Amino acid sequence: MGAATVSRWRATRRPRVTPAPLKRHTVHSLSRRLLVSVSVPLALFFGVMMLVLDSGFRALSERSLQEVLDSQMVSLIAAAEPQPNGGYAPVPHALDPRLATPRSGLYAEIRSQRHQWRSPSSAGLDADFGTLLPSGERNLSYASFGHDRVAIESRAIQFEDDPNGTRGLTFSVAVSLSPYEEQLWRFRQELIGWFIALMLILLVTLAALLRWVLAPVRRMQREIYEVEGGVSEKLGTGYPRELSGVATNLNALLLGERKRVARYRDTLGNLAHSLKTPLAVMRASLPGGEAGATIGAEIDRMSGIIAHQLKRAAASGGALLGAAPVEVAQLAAELRATLLKVYAGKDLAIELAVAPEAQFIGDRSDLTELMGNLLDNACKWCRSRVRLGAAPVYGAGPRERLSLVVEDDGPGISEQDRARVGQRGVRADENVPGHGLGLAMVHDTVELYGGRLVIDTSPLGGARFSLRLPGR
Amino acid sequence: MRVLVVEDEAALRETLKNRLAASGFTVDVAADGNEGLFAGQENALDVAIIDLGLPGLAGLEVIRRLRAARKTYPILILTARDNWQDKVEGLQAGADDYVAKPFHFEEVLARLQALLRRAGGWASPQLKCGPIVLDTRAQTITVQDASVELTTFEYRILEHLMLRAGEVVSKAELTERLYDQDFERDSNVIEVLMGRLRRKLDPQDQLRPIETLRGRGYRFALARDAAS
Repeated sequence: MGAATVSRWRATRRPRVTPAPLKRHTVHSLSRRLLVSVSVPLALFFGVMMLVLDSGFRALSERSLQEVLDSQMVSLIAAAEPQPNGGYAPVPHALDPRLATPRSGLYAEIRSQRHQWRSPSSAGLDADFGTLLPSGERNLSYASFGHDRVAIESRAIQFEDDPNGTRGLTFSVAVSLSPYEEQLWRFRQELIGWFIALMLILLVTLAALLRWVLAPVRRMQREIYEVEGGVSEKLGTGYPRELSGVATNLNALLLGERKRVARYRDTLGNLAHSLKTPLAVMRASLPGGEAGATIGAEIDRMSGIIAHQLKRAAASGGALLGAAPVEVAQLAAELRATLLKVYAGKDLAIELAVAPEAQFIGDRSDLTELMGNLLDNACKWCRSRVRLGAAPVYGAGPRERLSLVVEDDGPGISEQDRARVGQRGVRADENVPGHGLGLAMVHDTVELYGGRLVIDTSPLGGARFSLRLPGR
Repeated sequence: MRVLVVEDEAALRETLKNRLAASGFTVDVAADGNEGLFAGQENALDVAIIDLGLPGLAGLEVIRRLRAARKTYPILILTARDNWQDKVEGLQAGADDYVAKPFHFEEVLARLQALLRRAGGWASPQLKCGPIVLDTRAQTITVQDASVELTTFEYRILEHLMLRAGEVVSKAELTERLYDQDFERDSNVIEVLMGRLRRKLDPQDQLRPIETLRGRGYRFALARDAAS
């Protein structure tokens, strides 16, 4: 290990991505899923409905077309009179007036082998009513008279008093399709318009309903954020029956976790007390001479290991969800007062440059240990100046939003010893000269919180510890 | 110097008592918080050592109540927990320094002496008043660079007077700080000691380091050196 450890250690200590707090609007949101899953069958249903209605309407309009054709055919046949030239033509006053109006949309023709009569309405139109039919046959066809699409009904009739004997007449009636087509289009447009409007109304209603139904879920989500961010300690009450169980259990879990950590720390404290007091007795009642010195050294080693491991175990590493954020400024002022008292025999100044809004998200005693150890170390080694800076870093990763800098004007830490600070957790009994267990503790705690620790040289001349921790 | 040791662990308490006594302190002991509070309020102390984890009344509370009772002597905390939260709380309650268990006795002694020195307004462990220099760590006296041999009691009296150089110290106060409670106070042993001390420090009767103020007590009359 050695100097290489520093670079490798730094390289692996990239800003960590937090286990992503639930995002508010992901594609996988429940309401979006519901909306999508409802709108697909809805669209399918409306599509089928539209097809059914459309074909129904078309059948209806075809029948009415057929009726018009039939009735015109009947009146044409009834009005047909033999003409002096041997052909047939309808009696003018018995005809539908539309047959007399050019391009009225209703056309007729009476045709035999040699004669042909066409209604005046077809005048000027390129009208083709089709071929002569064999007697007794009827036929429905579609054709275009100029730009006008028409339906043509033709019927071949043999009059009994036909002077031409076996010669048959073919009666044809043509009706323009454009009014029907126009009607169909209008119908379709209306249908589509209504269906789209209806679907939108349904979806909007559904979305509003979902919003209302899922409001407690969103509230729970928001409250979990708040607990994560340390704004509140637990979830509120008043959840609907289906969710109240979840909320209660989550609260119980949070509370249980906090109590567990508190009890755990208490136990560790008692353990420390009951282990160290006998050690203190042993140390105080040591005999002089070489034997005493050996035992004394072993006692120091033991108590060092106990202190280190117990402190390590007591660091919570931010497992405390819902603990209020720690005001760094207040803690810094308390520690400063304490250290000034402890180092009253040394002429030193502790400068605080702590932004009042700097907050640490995590456990208070973890931060107290961290800052206490760093400041104590700085006070021990400085000539006369120690500086503590703390400020929130906006825009940094969630585990690096608090910047802490502790520096002094002492001799500093050599490259080699900087690297060993990170190793100290492994060999608690191996002392970096002059730097106690405190720094190993600092390193462990920073690691537990997923933060960063960089040791370099301060502009003041001594060591500078720059930390990044969860905060805001 | 009279020191109070409040520690519930009997073996540790006895060891501290014996070693402090051997280092020239007059030692009072208390085994729990209530006893400690009583002794701290009733005895004329120069310094107290208080364990934080006490049965009865917690160490922190003892310190708070002593300070509330306007006891201003320095207090040294002993703690097994050794975390900053406890240290901050202890010093906020009114203690002046802490030592984590298990400790080296030498460290406790050094801190006690530093506290006493600072309480007397001295910055360095060497108390210098003109030609007379008292080293609190080595417990040695030199007068005009010549070493002077003092008995334990003579040294204690001189240390006490020099720590509070310029102030008047009553005979009763000196008696209380030199001897255990059962000492017979009417004896003129202080006067005898004072006479011997004067002869040793100032055989030519030129410096006159210790003044006697009739009916009030004694005062170390030489001015402190500015540097110390």
